[in-house]
Amino acid sequence: MPITSQQLEEKLKAELQASHLKIVDTSDGCGSKFQAVIVSPQFEGKPLLQRHRLVNTVLEAELKEIHAFSMKTLTPEQWQKEQS
Amino acid sequence: MATLKEIPDVTGFRNAIKETTGLVVVHFSASWAPQCGQMNEVLSELAKDPGYINVTFIKLEAEDVPEISEEYSISAVPTCVFVRRGKLLDRLDGANVAELTKKVKLLASQSDVSVPSMPEPPKEDLNSRLKRLINTEEVMLFMKGNPSEPKCGFSRQIVQILNENNVKFGSFDILADEEVRQGLKTYSNWPTYPQLYSKGELLGGLDIVKELAESGELKSQLPAQQSLDDRLKGLINKAPVMVFMKGEKAVPRCGFSKQTVAILNDTGIDYDTFDILSDEEVRQGLKTFSNWPTYPQLYVKGELVGGLDIIKELQESGELLTILKDGQ
Repeated sequence: MPITSQQLEEKLKAELQASHLKIVDTSDGCGSKFQAVIVSPQFEGKPLLQRHRLVNTVLEAELKEIHAFSMKTLTPEQWQKEQS
Repeated sequence: MATLKEIPDVTGFRNAIKETTGLVVVHFSASWAPQCGQMNEVLSELAKDPGYINVTFIKLEAEDVPEISEEYSISAVPTCVFVRRGKLLDRLDGANVAELTKKVKLLASQSDVSVPSMPEPPKEDLNSRLKRLINTEEVMLFMKGNPSEPKCGFSRQIVQILNENNVKFGSFDILADEEVRQGLKTYSNWPTYPQLYSKGELLGGLDIVKELAESGELKSQLPAQQSLDDRLKGLINKAPVMVFMKGEKAVPRCGFSKQTVAILNDTGIDYDTFDILSDEEVRQGLKTFSNWPTYPQLYVKGELVGGLDIIKELQESGELLTILKDGQ
């Protein structure tokens, strides 16, 4: 069964308490390419490397199936700045 | 006739182990322990046995080579270890002569069956290999394909970003080496490629590099790239007397360079050389930097003295030694 963006969102929301999530399936539904914007308080004080590692860990199983996954990881504060 | 070899030092032992493809029996011994003498007698006898012509018997003073003793976890003497191509096969603690003879016999016979005619080079442990690879260059990119022909979109993008930022980097094609491909994921705790390393530290994948490039932080995360001028300055000042030549001091690769080396060797002055054939950037750069179109070039204290013709003239006039000594 192909991976859906909804599946990824649920997982990230549960594990990272993501306050904002935007995951776009750029593979036209075959579940192999995603672009994600993830906003989580858990990113606070962590360098990019650690943030990506955190996401990678949460999505460990899914990433094995996904061919291309790119992400932006923001703290709520950064996210707010970007919105304004 | 073979004998029990006494090896006094660590290097000697390492070489002996490296050069031998057959079974090596190493006795960790101590001269003050009578049981060790007994073991040595037996080992000497075994060494004489023509049936064990392919077996190497080594005696080490365990306390003289603590590094080796520790490697093989030697806690008491006598202890014998049985090694083949650097791999520990078995060990025998204590002075058990019967067991020793038995083990040698067993392990030696195995070697005759299992040793292929062409011994494989000893395999480097994967982690040390990965560590070496990520440190090959100050900036290393592990990617699919190579920079001129990336084999995936992410790898292509990261190469493009690095090129746009004039970052010099080495690369490794993970498609060509499945062991590295899988191993590095675990080693660096990073599941995907490309991976960019700076001084052996993982910087991240494409997304991170992209963000760093956009925010202008990329440069600061990478080791300062020395400008060519700085590099050349460093090189001409590497030693008080420096020769930039074709080939190396011992193997000059052009007649002019060869003559230069001969003249300098005659002076007895210490000097260092740089092989411009090994580095096209230096070769071209130094011509401009010093405004001197040919090689060899002689520098004293970072100042260009000249090429071969000048060196020859100085030698003839007797000034050469004075100038070179100035650099000492």
